[in-house]
Amino acid sequence: MNSNNLRLSFFTVSLTGLLLSADPVLATQTHGQPEGLYVHQMAHIFFIISMGSLDFWLRQRNLIKEKGWKYIQLSAVLFILWNINAAAVHFLDEHLDILGISIIDLWHIRVESIEGQDSISIVYYLLKLDHLLCVPAMFFLYYGLKTILKNTTSDNGNRVHP
Amino acid sequence: MIISSLPILFVDLIGSFLMIILSFLSLGIVFKLRKQDHNNLIWTYLWWICLSLSCFAVSRSAGHILKNFLFMAGHEPFWAKIRPFSGAINTFMFIVVGAVTLFFERIWKIYQLVRKDRQALQSAHKELLFLNQNLERLVEQRTKALSVSEYKYRKIFEVSKDMILVTEKDGTIVNLNPSGYSLLGLDRETDKIEHRNAREFMVEPEKWFDTMASIQKERSISNVELEIIASDGVVKRVLLSGSMAEKSENEVQTFHFLLKDIEQRKRMEEQLTQADKLASIGELSSGVAHEINNPLGVILGYTQLLLRGEKDSSARYADLKTIEKHVRSCKTIVEDLLSFSRKSETEKKRLDIHHIIDDVLTFVQHHSNIEHIAIEKEYDPEVQPILVDEKKIKQVLINLVVNAIHAVGKKGRIQIATGLSKPAGDLMIKVKDDGHGIVKKHLKNIFDPFFTTKPTGEGTGLGLSVSYGIIKNHGGHIFVESKPGAGAVFTITLPAATVSQEN
Repeated sequence: MNSNNLRLSFFTVSLTGLLLSADPVLATQTHGQPEGLYVHQMAHIFFIISMGSLDFWLRQRNLIKEKGWKYIQLSAVLFILWNINAAAVHFLDEHLDILGISIIDLWHIRVESIEGQDSISIVYYLLKLDHLLCVPAMFFLYYGLKTILKNTTSDNGNRVHP
Repeated sequence: MIISSLPILFVDLIGSFLMIILSFLSLGIVFKLRKQDHNNLIWTYLWWICLSLSCFAVSRSAGHILKNFLFMAGHEPFWAKIRPFSGAINTFMFIVVGAVTLFFERIWKIYQLVRKDRQALQSAHKELLFLNQNLERLVEQRTKALSVSEYKYRKIFEVSKDMILVTEKDGTIVNLNPSGYSLLGLDRETDKIEHRNAREFMVEPEKWFDTMASIQKERSISNVELEIIASDGVVKRVLLSGSMAEKSENEVQTFHFLLKDIEQRKRMEEQLTQADKLASIGELSSGVAHEINNPLGVILGYTQLLLRGEKDSSARYADLKTIEKHVRSCKTIVEDLLSFSRKSETEKKRLDIHHIIDDVLTFVQHHSNIEHIAIEKEYDPEVQPILVDEKKIKQVLINLVVNAIHAVGKKGRIQIATGLSKPAGDLMIKVKDDGHGIVKKHLKNIFDPFFTTKPTGEGTGLGLSVSYGIIKNHGGHIFVESKPGAGAVFTITLPAATVSQEN
């Protein structure tokens, strides 16, 4: 038996021993509800950064001089705004204990601010209408792509930038 | 604060539907773009963006719609169960969209590089295609252009009036143009010049070697005067310029030369120099002759006066006769000098030159022992009577014929020929002998007064000088061509205008 085989045998025995003697404290960490929220908020921030980066490079490469890419840039800006909006709603919903929201019936909700400031309630209400940002964002993306397709077709399929 | 949830519900439901519809419409457009150019990296990038956005829209919007319907149906607990799952998918799709979007800059750079390479490839492909399709035509065009170029330079080589010579490093002839053949007295058809060495045609081979060495050192050389010897032995002076050609790896080093025949020019220069010199001597002689002529006349007059008073048998008479004889000799020399300097008067008449030549030959045959000398006449019947001073022209011809007789010795041949020069139509008289010829160094002095190669007492050295003066006085030219051992040719030209002068 050579030294390599000896090393392999020792490793196998050690690993088996370790697995058999596993204790609950060594198991994977549990993830409670707040983690999901943090991840979601971080995802919003990541989305904002990536859309910001797209906007930056579109400007940097002078692509915004072309109509199609200009609309896509506008879409990126609206997506950023929507993300800010969504993140703010989540923040108000989950992080701050300043609002109390309860469903009265199917058509009414109660929004109560702890400090009694109705303005926060109104802001929250408006922020809840976040589709007013993400739908135009998606529309401009669609319209931008459509314009690019139109230009590309008229220019025999080779033009994607000025 | 109780608020109506209807706007939120409405916007949420409609917005969710629109999100799904718009995202799929976007996907459809990118699909069309990809269909147009499947290899376009930007379309692929947009495809991934739209695909992830569609997934995101579906996951989010479906969640929202479901949530609202469950709430409306009063199944809130059920929503509570699926909510984490929906939220997780939603978060995940967020991250995917964000991650894909972040690659834009890198994708764009790669796309630009690919595009650049593709354009280069397309350009190369087009060029190759063009070459492939037009190769035959292009080769034909190129061949034609080369042929035109070759013809042009060949023509320059062929029609050049100067000799163009191409040799190898050791002087072996590679190529020679027609003017070169002509200059070297060779026949293009029969004489094979290739592989002969250029030094064979050089009068001084050392000078040729020096020239070659200079070219190798300096790479080129200009206007070197050389003497070449033609195949018929005629020596000609040439002006040589040469250079060493650049050679590629497998080529033989060649030397290119341009040789300009300057023999004619040189002769002209020499003749002009000689004419100037003789004119100066003539002026001097004329002055001296005039100064001496008068005292000689006085001496001769007084001598003849004294002779009248003396008896023929007396010793004083004999002395006076001796004085008279020598004074007459002196006067003859003075007259000859005046003839040379063209100061003597001429009486021109329109005469047949052939009669004059016949008279001269008759006179010479009576006064010389020329039994074994063949005298040949070659008269041109087209020669018209010409305006000359008979006495003086006869004197010239006598001088030339007598000199020819002296040159051939006891046995030989003398030719006298007449003709008309072209295109001027001047009269030409050639006196040719096959005698001992004239050495080169004497040729330039042959018309000088008192220049003679004869022993002292046998000639005054004025014969050719006088002839020169007489011919010049007639507006003509006299010159000599000779090679030692090969005889000499004296040529006289008298202008055709002499005929019209009389009219």
